Amino acid sequence: MRVSVAGSGLSACGGLVTAGILLLLLLGFAPAPRGHGAEPPEAGSLTASPEPAPPAADDLFLRRIHLDLAGRQPTFAETEAFRADPSPGKRAAEVDRLLAAPAWSQTWARYFRDVILFRRTDPRAAFMQAPLETFLTARLAADASWGTIARDLITATGAPGEQGETAIIIAQMGETADIAAEVSRIFLGIQLQCAQCHDHFTDRWKRGQFHELAAFFPRIAIRPTAGQGPDRFEVVSFDVQPRALRGRKPPDNPRRGDLEHEMPDRDDPSLPGTVMAPRFFLTGQSLPLGTPDLERRHAIAAWITSPDNPWFARAIVNRLWAELVGEGFYPAIDDLGPDRIPQEPERLADLAAGFAAHDSDLRWLFRAICTSPEYGRGSRSRSSPARAGFAANCPQRLRADQLFTQLLDTLGVDEARAAQAAARRRGAAGPVPAPAQELMARFRLGSPRNLFGQVFGYDPSLPREEIVGSIPQTLVFMNGPQVAAALDGHRPGTLLGRLLRTESDDAAVTEALYYRALARAPSADELATCLTHVNSAGDRAEGFEDVFWALINSVEFLHRP
Amino acid sequence: MPSSCPNRRSLLRALGLGAVGWGAGGGFLPGSGWGPFAAAHADGLRARHKACILLWMQGGPSQFETFSPLPEHPNGGGTAAIATAVPGIRFAEHWPEAAAVADRLAVIRSMTSKEGSHPRATHLLHTGYLPIPGVRHPTLGSIVASQLATVATVATVATGATSDCGADLPPVVRIGARGRADSGAGILGMAWEPFEIRDPDQPPANTTALVPAARHERRLDLAARLEGGFADRLPQEAADHRALRERASRLIHSPAMEAFDLDGETDAARALYGEGDFASGCLLARRLVERGVSFVEVVCDGWDTHADNADQTARLAGRVDRPFAALVRDLGDRGLLDDTLLIWMGEFGRTPQVNPRGGRDHFPRSFNAVLGGGGVRGGRVVGATDSRGVDILERPVTVPDLFSTFCHALGIDPSVETVAPSGRPVRLVDGGEPVRELFG
Repeated sequence: MRVSVAGSGLSACGGLVTAGILLLLLLGFAPAPRGHGAEPPEAGSLTASPEPAPPAADDLFLRRIHLDLAGRQPTFAETEAFRADPSPGKRAAEVDRLLAAPAWSQTWARYFRDVILFRRTDPRAAFMQAPLETFLTARLAADASWGTIARDLITATGAPGEQGETAIIIAQMGETADIAAEVSRIFLGIQLQCAQCHDHFTDRWKRGQFHELAAFFPRIAIRPTAGQGPDRFEVVSFDVQPRALRGRKPPDNPRRGDLEHEMPDRDDPSLPGTVMAPRFFLTGQSLPLGTPDLERRHAIAAWITSPDNPWFARAIVNRLWAELVGEGFYPAIDDLGPDRIPQEPERLADLAAGFAAHDSDLRWLFRAICTSPEYGRGSRSRSSPARAGFAANCPQRLRADQLFTQLLDTLGVDEARAAQAAARRRGAAGPVPAPAQELMARFRLGSPRNLFGQVFGYDPSLPREEIVGSIPQTLVFMNGPQVAAALDGHRPGTLLGRLLRTESDDAAVTEALYYRALARAPSADELATCLTHVNSAGDRAEGFEDVFWALINSVEFLHRP
Repeated sequence: MPSSCPNRRSLLRALGLGAVGWGAGGGFLPGSGWGPFAAAHADGLRARHKACILLWMQGGPSQFETFSPLPEHPNGGGTAAIATAVPGIRFAEHWPEAAAVADRLAVIRSMTSKEGSHPRATHLLHTGYLPIPGVRHPTLGSIVASQLATVATVATVATGATSDCGADLPPVVRIGARGRADSGAGILGMAWEPFEIRDPDQPPANTTALVPAARHERRLDLAARLEGGFADRLPQEAADHRALRERASRLIHSPAMEAFDLDGETDAARALYGEGDFASGCLLARRLVERGVSFVEVVCDGWDTHADNADQTARLAGRVDRPFAALVRDLGDRGLLDDTLLIWMGEFGRTPQVNPRGGRDHFPRSFNAVLGGGGVRGGRVVGATDSRGVDILERPVTVPDLFSTFCHALGIDPSVETVAPSGRPVRLVDGGEPVRELFG
């Protein structure tokens, strides 16, 4: 069977889709990290201040801000209007307009969905993508603060299929220590999982402190229910030891929950461990043994999200600054550590203080970053040595959702119609039982976007220089039948077919394709190269197919500038 | 190397392909592709080129219905045992073909681990490590391919071998995992990412040429010329992307891709392996290894037999037995068995007691695995459980021991360290000792 993602009438994995293997669809190609050697230098050690890049030109800024805040490129009309607008405050106004639009909520819901689910230890937790995205989109659209979202995720209970906020728990299969490590990583930017087994190499946190944090989560249980597929489970509190199990060691099943967390004996894990009382390593706040599950989780959620906890603000400021400016205050997005020195520490402190003062309002933070001079600078590679001090905005590889939307927009393909075509193709490949169809529709499994994400997705918490392309990705763009069909200049129904029929001027066609693919006009050289190619191709449609192909297979297409 | 495989460069010339984007040196960027592997395919190295085929039994195969039968005890579930080619060694009744080649197989009946959840145990038996959020342990295939390539590259430089017919093939191929595989190249980098084949009877996704090679070449050329301005801003990314386009293009147009076409096999070969996806996967594995691919995993799903264990395992064995034995025979006939390590295993075993639904549940405490080829002495059994099949009485083998054994068979140093993004060094294998009784 062919797995071809993207383009018009995107196909799904034909015969693969049956009820029994429904969930197996979900884990596709792993993100492809670059091999690496030495760690990047500590940011604080780069002291030379390079010449800052001048502000980005209007077209480039507009493509950047649209991809960042709306998850898609600007249209030709939007680019023209923005260029023609003489008002000095137009960039800030565009930021406000995009922050108010629904696309912002969806774009960043998808981002945080990936932050959580790319660290799943159970591949089957991939089904949480749709419920988590739904939950986060609704929260962001309703102006929920980052503190509110964090509290929802930390204190969640209920059916995963309905309650997207159970995602961190489901992704870690209810494993006490793994949930604690993820909560710390995502909301504090502090990675404690190494301290799970030994005192941390480089940081000051001790093994006992990690297990005291884990002691907030042992009573989380994942209970089987009568449902099917993702509805087979629910997240509940385990606060009463069943009579049958009293007095003997329960079987090692993380899903069942434990009344108290034990730090395992380091030398012999089969011996009983040390019972740990919940205690928050940053503040020393603690709870007695015996405290019920939800009381524990509400307490730690309140302590983590408190405006008095600088790590909570620092972690999200560093994360979003790194995502939007292309380079963080700390070298790692989610591993700030207590003894590491950020670059531009005053800038970080100001933003973190402002964020806390604004009740952890995410829109405030996006506005602060996106209207900053650093964000608005011209773009320059992160591999250039002159990178300290945010002298430029570094181009970012598009996330799978941004890239998929951009591919569809460029080729003029409607996502809903592509999804219908994919469903038809699945049906043609073999009958799909009705319950499976319902589950697939509800969890958006096997949708073109979902399949595209399997091939193109990457963990957004990884250092961005580690994210490189892969052969299967490249094959989708270069040689995917759906992309090829959408590029076809001979077919009247395609974008290129229509363009060639209505526009006889080759330069105008070239320009239109450039705006479609890259949201900019071609340079004089590029235009000349394209026209020469089209003239030498013999067939006008074929010549322009090649031009369009070259544009979507360019490195520029894959990056937000 | 099959004689039908012509010199790649002369073939490309015959196809009218110019040097741009197709040169043998094209895209040999460290860390961005399969460059280092190219050298491992040299003819002169064929005899010394090690490879590994993993037959992965997803779900946790019952030891009692496979290679550790207990016909005399109720825990044996009523499954009969049959004699094998080796006096004194018996297999479960569903494995007559494997029994016939038992002289070339070694059974470990004393595998043990503590992990009884599918995803975590699958990760453990694929990487040698339990999953840790944020640390991406490489899968066995990526470990093997990356380490073998290093060895082979050195050897190639020494011998001056130049033919690279198989260089276009990916070094790690995984067949039939259907998206369930939970581990990839991890910290070893993209060059060693397993190439997924969902259906062995179809060509890999998006590799059937849609435009003639000459036009494809012109497109690559146009893309390279148009890339100028932005590439100046992102030189590294642009170079990586160019290398990817070149390498992916080889998958579309390389003659080496005939490796994936099982129609190239004779009826006799197909008959040897039998019918079904798993049989096709094993046949494809042999073709790929023969052409220089370092590691192939073939997956048979469905071993999670919580109910109707007897019927289910008989059905599954019927899919696996013949192709498994065919691989032993075929690799042997082709002189590849000594250099190809063959592994049969799953993520854990099943409970000795049959449950009320006639099934067996998860049991990591004692289970089994089978090795063949790669210098492993066949006709042996390592380890034993008590008569009830519960506790290991002799020679427990842990997962790190098993991974050290793989490394030993393939000539890989298990203590090699890779640096994780956190700066933390990660050993290929976390301790353990090879099972030396399997060798010599």
